[in-house]
Amino acid sequence: MPSIPLHVNKLSPASISATASSNPLPPLLHTPSGLGLLELQGTIHFPTVPTSTSSTAPANTSLQLDASTLVGKLVFPLYNPELRGEDDTSWMKRVYMYVGENQRLTGECKKLGKPFGLMQRKERGREDVQMGGIEEEGSGEEELEIVEVVRYKIVFSSRPEPVGGEVQS
Amino acid sequence: MATQQSDGGVRFSVAHDLQQYRLLELPAELLELIDAANPPLLSIKSAAPGAPSAKPAYAVLCTPNKTYQLRQVQTSNSLFVAQPVLEAHGNEEIPAPTTRAVASCTATLELHPADTPPDAFLEEVLPVYDIVDKEVDATGNGKSKAVVLADIPLSEGQCEQAWKELMAFEFAGSSYRPSANTLVQVWKSIHDAALAEGIKLDQQFLTDTLLSALDDEGYPPSLIVAVLTGLATAEQDPAGSWSCLDRSRAVHFVGTTLLEAKRGGADYLTAEFLDTWREHVPDAWQRDAELAAIEGLYELPTSTTVAIRGGIASTTKTAAATAKPGSSSSRKWHEKFGRARQR
Repeated sequence: MPSIPLHVNKLSPASISATASSNPLPPLLHTPSGLGLLELQGTIHFPTVPTSTSSTAPANTSLQLDASTLVGKLVFPLYNPELRGEDDTSWMKRVYMYVGENQRLTGECKKLGKPFGLMQRKERGREDVQMGGIEEEGSGEEELEIVEVVRYKIVFSSRPEPVGGEVQS
Repeated sequence: MATQQSDGGVRFSVAHDLQQYRLLELPAELLELIDAANPPLLSIKSAAPGAPSAKPAYAVLCTPNKTYQLRQVQTSNSLFVAQPVLEAHGNEEIPAPTTRAVASCTATLELHPADTPPDAFLEEVLPVYDIVDKEVDATGNGKSKAVVLADIPLSEGQCEQAWKELMAFEFAGSSYRPSANTLVQVWKSIHDAALAEGIKLDQQFLTDTLLSALDDEGYPPSLIVAVLTGLATAEQDPAGSWSCLDRSRAVHFVGTTLLEAKRGGADYLTAEFLDTWREHVPDAWQRDAELAAIEGLYELPTSTTVAIRGGIASTTKTAAATAKPGSSSSRKWHEKFGRARQR
């Protein structure tokens, strides 16, 4: 088997600041590309989305790709950089995910013992822009790339608990 | 708290079209490579399908000179890759910052340093090139070095190193590794030719001079070059037209190869072995040809005979140090049985 090239195509750490404004998570969880990891026990079920591919014109596909279902909210109840400073990490011990109105998952933020590399099939179009137009001609071969290294994840390992409309303090 | 639930917090959504991501658990060493300013090109390789290998074929991840086995680990949890986006849901006009799951991973890939010695793979796939009574005994595999190495699940650096240590060579469209017997003959010819031409092997000499002196012997030139490269000093450029042998490496090579060539044969008297060894090296090197130079690679079955210990005809001390204990002990058993039968 011929070897499959595996490129490392991370954005430089400097670009964190560029994505920071649009990344609502605490800065510790930021990565240059903005990609992060979230783990939960079980699966999220939601109504199947009506697929309108047959009637969708090609022009609409980008909209279609962008479609998503709002599941809930992530809350970092102990995160308070104004009070505890930016370097404080005690907030990592508690993260809530509210699902819909009445369910809450309790979790935490964990530093990964071994960071994860996010690997995906290489997008050729992007490569051309980034690498200054180095031509790789006629190769239909598969190529992979590591686009990010993630060092933290948010884990929800407990069952969801019911919460009322008025949340207890 | 209540306000945080309604006002604060980060919206979390799941994309309908999930992308494909694979999660690679990165060991510290690899992380360092990837975090470097100019990360090297990595690659994913696997052994050729249907290779006569006892082990199941793992895919491996290769850095320029290290190899990691990939092992898929299933997870029962949902592991999302999330990305910050601006999204508007329902009747909202203004998109709000949202963390959106863009991929879901059911398995992660663990990386384990591969511990199989590189030469074992090459030994398995390369046909032996043997010369018995001036007759070549070898069946070509019709594969170039590049084709052979592409199917070895190891990094390029390790492949090249093993290729060099085995003194493997390409000839007439095939790749071979020489038998110990062949190596002894080639070395003897090199030694004789150097003597005749007045070449000092441990100083710079033109490779072509030696090759043309050996023209009549009928060895593939690539084989001679493989021996010269395998024994070259570390600073010698293998692509250049000059050669220069590493004296201690060459002495070591001659000793172990002589013993290797006698593997499984009749008893080899230690005194006879030492004499042959010294005959086969330039005069100036003779005092190096002592058993101490091949420490750990020989054994003394009786007080007067000597035999190779397990492991291959290693040409370098590094290879000797990492010689596989598993196969060596089994080979030793084989020899012991052989000797027992002869008695």
